[in-house]
Amino acid sequence: MIGTMQKRQSGKLILVASTVLVGLVGLKAHPMPASAIESQTVTLQFEGMVADEPFVCGQAYDLGSPATTMTPLDFRFYVSQVALIDADGNEVPLILQQDGKWQHQDVALIDFEDKTGACTNGTVETRTEVIGSVPAGDYTGVKFTLGVPFNLNHVDSTLAPSPLNLTSMWWNWNFGYKFARIDLTPVMETVQATPDSSSAQEKQHAEEFNGFAIHLGSVGCQMDATQAPVVCSLPNRSEVVFTNFDPAEDVIVADLAALVSQTNLAENQADTALGCMSLPTDGDCAGIMQNLGLPFNDQPVREQIFFSVK
Amino acid sequence: MLSRRWTSWILICVCVCCLSIGAEVALGHTPSEFGGFEPSPDSPEEFDWQLPRWVPRPVVPEENPMTAAKVELGRHLFYETRLSVTGDFSCASCHLQHLAFADGKTLPTGATGEMHPRNSMGLTNVGYNSVQTWANPLMQHLEQQLLVPLFGEEPVELGMAGKEVELLQTLQNDPDYQQRFKDVFGDENPVTIRNISLAIAAFERTLNSFDSPYDRYRYGGDASAISDAAKRGEVLFNSERLECFHCHSGLNFSDSTRHERSGFTEIAFHNTGLYNIDGNGAYPPNNTGVQEITQRDTDMGKFKAPTLRNIEVTAPYMHDGSVATLEEAIAHYAAGGRTIEEGSYAGVGSQNPLKSSFIIGFTLTNTERQDLMAFLQSLTDETFLTNPKLSSPYE
Repeated sequence: MIGTMQKRQSGKLILVASTVLVGLVGLKAHPMPASAIESQTVTLQFEGMVADEPFVCGQAYDLGSPATTMTPLDFRFYVSQVALIDADGNEVPLILQQDGKWQHQDVALIDFEDKTGACTNGTVETRTEVIGSVPAGDYTGVKFTLGVPFNLNHVDSTLAPSPLNLTSMWWNWNFGYKFARIDLTPVMETVQATPDSSSAQEKQHAEEFNGFAIHLGSVGCQMDATQAPVVCSLPNRSEVVFTNFDPAEDVIVADLAALVSQTNLAENQADTALGCMSLPTDGDCAGIMQNLGLPFNDQPVREQIFFSVK
Repeated sequence: MLSRRWTSWILICVCVCCLSIGAEVALGHTPSEFGGFEPSPDSPEEFDWQLPRWVPRPVVPEENPMTAAKVELGRHLFYETRLSVTGDFSCASCHLQHLAFADGKTLPTGATGEMHPRNSMGLTNVGYNSVQTWANPLMQHLEQQLLVPLFGEEPVELGMAGKEVELLQTLQNDPDYQQRFKDVFGDENPVTIRNISLAIAAFERTLNSFDSPYDRYRYGGDASAISDAAKRGEVLFNSERLECFHCHSGLNFSDSTRHERSGFTEIAFHNTGLYNIDGNGAYPPNNTGVQEITQRDTDMGKFKAPTLRNIEVTAPYMHDGSVATLEEAIAHYAAGGRTIEEGSYAGVGSQNPLKSSFIIGFTLTNTERQDLMAFLQSLTDETFLTNPKLSSPYE
């Protein structure tokens, strides 16, 4: 068995160590000797979609309700605490490959933007998978959290390793990370700079219609004197579960159109941040939080619809 | 006296009960590391703070010891316009030395033209602040605070979010910076965001102002350093009638102050009745104070009491620059809160239910008002406003 493991692509010490750990955990559930438990590498596939179309930077999409033609500036998010669910309903943690770039501890970055089009603040590289290992077995479900776990969310970002050191994902004023960064800007065919286009009316129109930024993260955080927040009243971590899921075949779709299906992207509540910055006072968050399966003030919490399986 | 002791007890209780802090944690180091209250004289790399003897040193995080070379690198970075997305903005664009590192504007505009909802704070003695900026209890360290203007996007200030690779390349390709980073940090790859933040924070800890006429009078033994009017103003300032000293207390005239002799970290925020939009204490939605961070209704309109040192040159005042002059600021406190007659922010601030109990209002004679002004003006430190060590290295 050890020989099989070493033949695998990842012979890294960390993976071996974690595999042993998984083996021990597995021992509790399965009445077989530890040496008999084989580790298997799992690659969970993600795909960025906008309804039926693939997500592409530079593309224009009709989004929201009523629909507004928007083009993306960014589409990245962190997933964490990924687990596979076996036929008996046991959740088995996926031990993430520590690649020094996309994955750190139990957090992985999913990145659909490629710095083309209007996605200028992004990175050329994209990432549509989470790679890790679990004890060999039959798995029929998957579970993950959209967000950075509390213990990693409030550390010193200047010391954090990749993928937690991308400044675009820093949320320094809240001393944490943007769990998701999904920024949109309107496609305006009519706004073409003319020599005297700075009339007050046009200026105001441009200000009113600056786009829509979705920055999901923990708010309402309180800090003790040890530098890190001790508690956040609104953690805003969405837990996603799919019970009918084949890790080898199925793809987890993140659908931008579904996320903003209830939101009028052409409007921004007066005196609030552009779009939704996760604050409960910002009504622009209402539909988005609901579609993420998160509580928002007193509105009913529904099952998330941002992610689906295909 | 009784009242003062009472206040101290409340502050101590707040610190002990709410923050649950340990003294060692609060200090970052214990006073004994400095050999009691005096800095250790035999430390080989003792940083020359150039502070008067009576002044306690700022608390320096263990991971960011002060060195002259680091401060000098930080000064270069503080004035470096290549730290902005447009190449023409730096920290100093909104923090001008001759204005005690405020900018004289009601509200500042960032590199890309976005207006900030809050007034640019003066940076006088920022190293002594137990909490930075106007109203963020999470923001207790300079190293962490400067990431907000550098990378923040709500609003954009210097606009470098997502541009860290370009930023580091620019500095790496500059032989002068390359050398400075190497001299200070010595690592294989010393040009990092981390080291930028350490250097700028180290420079900021030298923005120290303790050479005002008032300092020479109060601590320097020069009885004639301030006028008789200013001396009378000091008495008024410290009176239970005016109550100014409760929040603007101690050597930095702020109750959110921390230094090497502090046994506790005191952090305080106050609602001063500047607004009361709905009669329930509401502040304008883009400036709700600590409430924005904690999301607690009771934190509505709570802001830090900034230092009053150099207050004469940091107009306009308050978190949103909505008070144009020092006279107007005194009038606001004399009225026990500001009344706005009309418009979307109309309301009677003095009736704000969340208002600090020390904002009770007072009446001043003309002479008394002038005395109070003379006292506040005696806190202006010309040395600080003109010290070449704090000026742009590029001019």
